[in-house]
Amino acid sequence: MFSATNMFAQSDKNTEIVTDTLTVSGNCGSCKTRIEKAAYIKGVKRADWNKETKNLIVTYKSSKTSSDEILKSIAAAGHDSDVALATEESYEKLPNCCKYRTGTCDKE
Amino acid sequence: MKQKNTFHVLLLFVLLTSVLSTRAQDRQVYGTVFENNNGQKAPLVGVVVKTIDGSTGTQTDVDGAYRFDVPRSTERIVFSATSYVSDTIDISRDTNEVEVVLRAVHTLKEAKVKYRRKGNEIGLLDTRKSEMISEREILKAACCNLSESFETTPSIDVSFTDAISGYKQIQMLGLAGPYTLITRENIPDVRGLSAITGLTYTPGSWIAGMQLSKGTGSVVNGYESVAGQLNIELKKPFEEKEPKAYINLYQNIQGRSEANVVLKHKFNKFLSSNLMLHGSGRWRKNDMNNDGFMDQPLNQQFVGLNRWFYFGPKGLEMQFGVKGVYVDQTGGQLNFEKGTEQVLGNPWGFSMNTKRIEGFAKIGKVFTGKKGTSTGLQLSGMHHEQSALYGVRNYDARQNMFYANWIFQTIINNTNHGLKTGLSSLIDNYHEQFENKTYTRSEVVPGAFVEYSYKYLTKFNAILGLRGDYHNLYGFFATPRLHVRYAPFKLTAIRASAGRAQRTANILAENIGYMASRRSFVVSGTDASLPYGLQPEVAWNYGINLTQKFRLNYRDGAFSADYYYTDFQNQIVVDVENPNTVNFYNLNGASYANSLQGQLDYEPIVNLDVRLAYRWYDVKTTYGGVLKRRPLVAQHRAFVNVGYETRNSWRFDYTAQWISSKRLPSLIDQVGITQPSTGAPSFFLMNAQVSKTWNERFEVYVGGENLANYLQPSPIIGASQPFGNNFDASMVWGPVMGRNIYTGIRWKINK
Repeated sequence: MFSATNMFAQSDKNTEIVTDTLTVSGNCGSCKTRIEKAAYIKGVKRADWNKETKNLIVTYKSSKTSSDEILKSIAAAGHDSDVALATEESYEKLPNCCKYRTGTCDKE
Repeated sequence: MKQKNTFHVLLLFVLLTSVLSTRAQDRQVYGTVFENNNGQKAPLVGVVVKTIDGSTGTQTDVDGAYRFDVPRSTERIVFSATSYVSDTIDISRDTNEVEVVLRAVHTLKEAKVKYRRKGNEIGLLDTRKSEMISEREILKAACCNLSESFETTPSIDVSFTDAISGYKQIQMLGLAGPYTLITRENIPDVRGLSAITGLTYTPGSWIAGMQLSKGTGSVVNGYESVAGQLNIELKKPFEEKEPKAYINLYQNIQGRSEANVVLKHKFNKFLSSNLMLHGSGRWRKNDMNNDGFMDQPLNQQFVGLNRWFYFGPKGLEMQFGVKGVYVDQTGGQLNFEKGTEQVLGNPWGFSMNTKRIEGFAKIGKVFTGKKGTSTGLQLSGMHHEQSALYGVRNYDARQNMFYANWIFQTIINNTNHGLKTGLSSLIDNYHEQFENKTYTRSEVVPGAFVEYSYKYLTKFNAILGLRGDYHNLYGFFATPRLHVRYAPFKLTAIRASAGRAQRTANILAENIGYMASRRSFVVSGTDASLPYGLQPEVAWNYGINLTQKFRLNYRDGAFSADYYYTDFQNQIVVDVENPNTVNFYNLNGASYANSLQGQLDYEPIVNLDVRLAYRWYDVKTTYGGVLKRRPLVAQHRAFVNVGYETRNSWRFDYTAQWISSKRLPSLIDQVGITQPSTGAPSFFLMNAQVSKTWNERFEVYVGGENLANYLQPSPIIGASQPFGNNFDASMVWGPVMGRNIYTGIRWKINK
């Protein structure tokens, strides 16, 4: 049992694969598509954003990228996080239902 | 020493069993409690969370989070805090994560139960297996209407009805399209006279998504579905994600042009409306197989739909709409003009003119005070008339239909037990004239149904349905149906279903393909009081399927396998074994369809989707006392679809499929000699599409169909003498249209 856990930890260390839970602002299903799309920068294995919890669970190779890099890419697509805020320009590009700062999205 | 050891073992055993028993009887519930702070959710500390009987409980921490074990039998937990309205939440649907927003005492009460579903949602939780065909999936093949929307769906086979009319028909579980119940937002849509042609009345760009379920369906939607149900959801005006205007244009090299517009308007939070318009035309004559016949007729088609939604404050929901269809087609030999007299020496012609108007309404009420209780009424009325000419044959028909379905839905004690019951009524009037014979009939079918659903956690579900209908011509019949789902593991679902179906075969409308031949229609009716003198079709369908999701190398995938068996008690056999006739008679002997399918979906790297599928049919019917494979049904089909989307919104899609040999009945060859039954060759089909989207709003697409340009050689038998005795354009087993290249745009306007 213990050795199995160790084995997994070991293999994670060798490939430097890290899983982080980050908070990203957004509203709906189309935000999810956009956020996840932006999260897949080089080195990212998996990105799952939950519109209810605003949590982005992201798995990546720490030798190739970092959580800050990922959040910067997401901010460039218009979505805020603690690390990086979206520019006015990229935020304005979002469709109406995704304007999370105003909270106008009542459906979905 | 020995005693001490025994003691240790005993202690270990006691510990182990207590751990195991906690595991078996308790479950962990967790989540966060918030308050609503001027539209912002703020975590609430110190909220008491306990089971309804008060046997166990905890308090939320500074982040509003809580986590505690509750006995498995617990169905509700209570959240309470001073100066907040207490809330009781049902956790019986195995929602381990419960998020609650408590309201301060002076504001309205509102709580939401949220349960997290892992991964993508191909419905591991539903009792009935349902394949979601999303808008994205439909867009993989840009064309055009419903009959062309299944290019990437291995469960549905699409083939031409004949080499003249250009109509395509679908096939599921090895059974022809009319055996599948096709509904639009759960109201019967493609049936009756439009059983084949009706697929073209729904433009692809109006569709928001489809649900495809194989095997027996819900009794709520009627008794007709033999092979399965296909439900189409149109774009909805109250959904934020839909743009104010959606424009789609399409053009192909074969001379087909198409325009679609979907408009929505939200007047206020109660009232919204859709206006959907479609116009298309085929204005160029093509003859890629050089037989002197147009491969597809020239046509003009207009479809319009307008509907209104009203959402009242007290759980009242209403929808009213109208839809109109106009289609005009001219085909046949290249120099045929409308009105050309159909006599030897003149060009052979096909023409068809269709007019159809529908009105529909849905009225629903959710009883806000009573949990899980609602009632709904679906109404639909339709008038359809068509006038067709196949050479010397005419087929003129009209249908009036009225459908009403009232549903009451509630829960018994808790959401583990659901109940749906209701009444329905179907009134169908047909008047058909074919080659100087007139067939008229009225069907009036009042019915009642009840459906009980049971669930045990997320592990086991069952739906038991029964309906009784009284048919004015066939008398009373009962329709029992059963669905069971068992999920032994989190990512595994096994489902089984069994049920009865009954329907009236519209022998002419469902077999219009054979009108494009010199075959004489012979109906061997036994009872003059029944439609065409024939009995109703009755079939039992049994199915079992497995869905297994997996994650491999951080990417999601799914494997599914299903097996269905359809057994006909009676079928209206369409017998084309004699090359001069098409015979219709009541089944005398066995008729069945076995269907087996395996499908693998996986995303090996981000944004690269791969789908592999294989399906096998064994469809046999007794023709004149001999059990034979049904003609023109491919026994095997293999399928691969690859889709890739780049970071800058370029999208690539490629589909290839292999369709095996089909049995051909005995036919008369070009020199007039009757040949024995043979097999048609197997063939490959390839489609590809490339599209690019800018700003999620403007998209341009270019695609190709039948890229290898595979054509059935001389699909029309006796094409040189269409008024002769050998003429037969109904024996189509392969593509009658060659390579097609198309382009178009999709534009979402939100200003």
